[in-house]
Amino acid sequence: MLLFGRQTQRTCQTLHRRAFVQVGASSVLGLSLTNSLQAEGGRTPGSAKSVVLIWLWGGPSQLDTFDPKPKAPLEFRGPFSTIPTKVAGVRFCELFPKLAGMNDKFAVLRTLHTQSNDHGIAGTIGLTGNAAGGTGLDGKPLPGTPQPAMGAVVAKAMAKSGNPAKLPPFLVVGGKLHQGKKSIIGEGGGKLGATYDPFRLEYDPATGTKVPALQLPTEITPERLADRLALQSAFDKSDRLLESASLDQHRRRAFEMLTSPSSRVAFDLSQENEKTVRSYGKTRFGQSCLLARRLVETGVPFVQVNWSDHVEAEEDSGDGGWDHHYRNFQIMQDRHAAWLDRTVSAFLADLDERGLLKTTLVIAVGEFGRTPKINDKAGREHHPGCYSALVAGGGVVGGRIVGTSDARAEKPADTPLTPADLCATVHHAIGLTSEQITGMGLTPAGRLIEELF
Amino acid sequence: MNQRLTTDGSFKQHLHWSPDGKRFLFTRIHQGKMALWTMTAEGKDFKRLLPDHKEPHFDGHWSKDGGRIIYVYDKLEGTDGKLSIRSCHADGTEDKTIIPHKAFEESPRWSPDERRILWVSTRDGNPDLYTATAEGKDIKRLTNEIASDLHPSWSPDGKRIAFTSGRNGTQKVHVMEADGSKVKRLTDGDYLEAWPVWSPDGQRIAFVSRKSGNGNIWLMNSDGKSLKNLTDRDAEDSSPTWSPDGKRIAFVSDEDGGADVYSIAVD
Repeated sequence: MLLFGRQTQRTCQTLHRRAFVQVGASSVLGLSLTNSLQAEGGRTPGSAKSVVLIWLWGGPSQLDTFDPKPKAPLEFRGPFSTIPTKVAGVRFCELFPKLAGMNDKFAVLRTLHTQSNDHGIAGTIGLTGNAAGGTGLDGKPLPGTPQPAMGAVVAKAMAKSGNPAKLPPFLVVGGKLHQGKKSIIGEGGGKLGATYDPFRLEYDPATGTKVPALQLPTEITPERLADRLALQSAFDKSDRLLESASLDQHRRRAFEMLTSPSSRVAFDLSQENEKTVRSYGKTRFGQSCLLARRLVETGVPFVQVNWSDHVEAEEDSGDGGWDHHYRNFQIMQDRHAAWLDRTVSAFLADLDERGLLKTTLVIAVGEFGRTPKINDKAGREHHPGCYSALVAGGGVVGGRIVGTSDARAEKPADTPLTPADLCATVHHAIGLTSEQITGMGLTPAGRLIEELF
Repeated sequence: MNQRLTTDGSFKQHLHWSPDGKRFLFTRIHQGKMALWTMTAEGKDFKRLLPDHKEPHFDGHWSKDGGRIIYVYDKLEGTDGKLSIRSCHADGTEDKTIIPHKAFEESPRWSPDERRILWVSTRDGNPDLYTATAEGKDIKRLTNEIASDLHPSWSPDGKRIAFTSGRNGTQKVHVMEADGSKVKRLTDGDYLEAWPVWSPDGQRIAFVSRKSGNGNIWLMNSDGKSLKNLTDRDAEDSSPTWSPDGKRIAFVSDEDGGADVYSIAVD
């Protein structure tokens, strides 16, 4: 089902590590490395045709997901046990049995760290690889022009590749990211311009896929979407009301998309069989990931799935964020762990069965981790010092654990990694060279996480 | 044999069968709001218990005569919620605070004689079990552990309390006297267990266990013996509640992709 809607405004250890020649940041994506990898017989850059970023807004606990510390004192490790995974010697938190059963399909980064413990700033860093323009709780933007989101860079690089459904190259499924009532800097095109802002879709378990950009009269129902004239008329009327000289570019795109039969098919989850729908989980996040798979199938280069639009677990509690200052262990048991485990495992298996995983880079990560020391509210506070990410497909070798955190997952013991490194790795996966990045007016940053490939 | 009672798939938990067997009380996330709902024992006639409440509220528990409900109210402030314990009549009237927010107050349960309440609070630094009078007076701390003590449940005679505790490293089912003495661990194993509930005759305890690798509803005698996996399948099952006659257990399961209520006969 496809519906119009209004946007709601609310608020390591390395198991296998190939010899790697460390190169300077500015040349990390350059030809020398490419040639080096080819000479080694490694995978060449550019095997990914699409990227899916699963954004776990609020910051999941590294200890209660993919970097458990069963030997840490009780007040650090928490109540959860660990379980073995498909890869010998690797253990996950017991709440993730499905992912544990298929971690030969994905890698885990255990030593990410970032520069801020403020959602607003860490969010900007996580999405762009750079703090410039990030705005924290104090409302003061950091110096510098906001950098484009990972998705915007990929969109610009791959816009010309096109897709049959003529869908925008950067789609976000889920609400706009907020901290309180403020939108997060870094979800858009940044210095690449609004042309590369994402086009947003939302999925509501009760009503289906929504296109927030189309704030059309309520008489335009899903059944009338196919009626191009009716839709055009509604657009015209809406524009006159707005006394606008020109249509907002996003709404034009929306119009084009919704009058294209092939794109409407891409949005229509009712075309999926019940078994598939069930496997993803009938949650907002689950069905959003199913929508992401359909978008990838149509050739959309970058899809970002936002688990929630607010960081708090209670607000917009449909799926609620990962900011578990209190009741972390109860919320993990009740909802978040089961939903993440079910959906991401189904998503990766589905991509794999369709032959899409090798050409789709999937990253599941938040803006930071959580304090190893449990607070007096049975929760964990913000922790920028060390956190984990799941990375799969697009040439990533499954089963690897990259980086080792210390005994309490407080900081990297080796191989420290940054969000900028993750951005550089995305660029590498789609074959974007440092020269091309420079050609966009951007400065390459971060180092390719070569251990993934 | 499982009997499926709901098909809407919206998130549900904290299922509690009414003492007269006619309705369920449960936490539901519907249209983005977490609230208390009731429905018939057949899974029909969904009703918001407290439709005027804008803030999240959850984990309701009927009193033994079915006349009152006690629950958790979560006032959102900044990035935190301020949890308190409130009670109301079964029709939602006479809604009032019993335990004001001091720390994180949750999982309230009426004693069988309805004179006291039992709940979890972090007021002394981490989740422990406390009791107070039905008016919220005479607060007594029952447990004092660095690990979390959670999910309390009175025995039908009010003499014992089942709960979960991570004091031995993993969250397992424990029992103790109603005054907090004679704590005994009932279950073993390196896997999570949660939400123990006594059978109406006090002979058995149903609970959630991940022994099989995922959450299923398990049964054991009240001394921890005769363990049995009641819902042995590849699904996340939670929130067990006994029918008043002790013949069935209802629970929430994600078997169909959402969260729905099922019931199963108990031998």
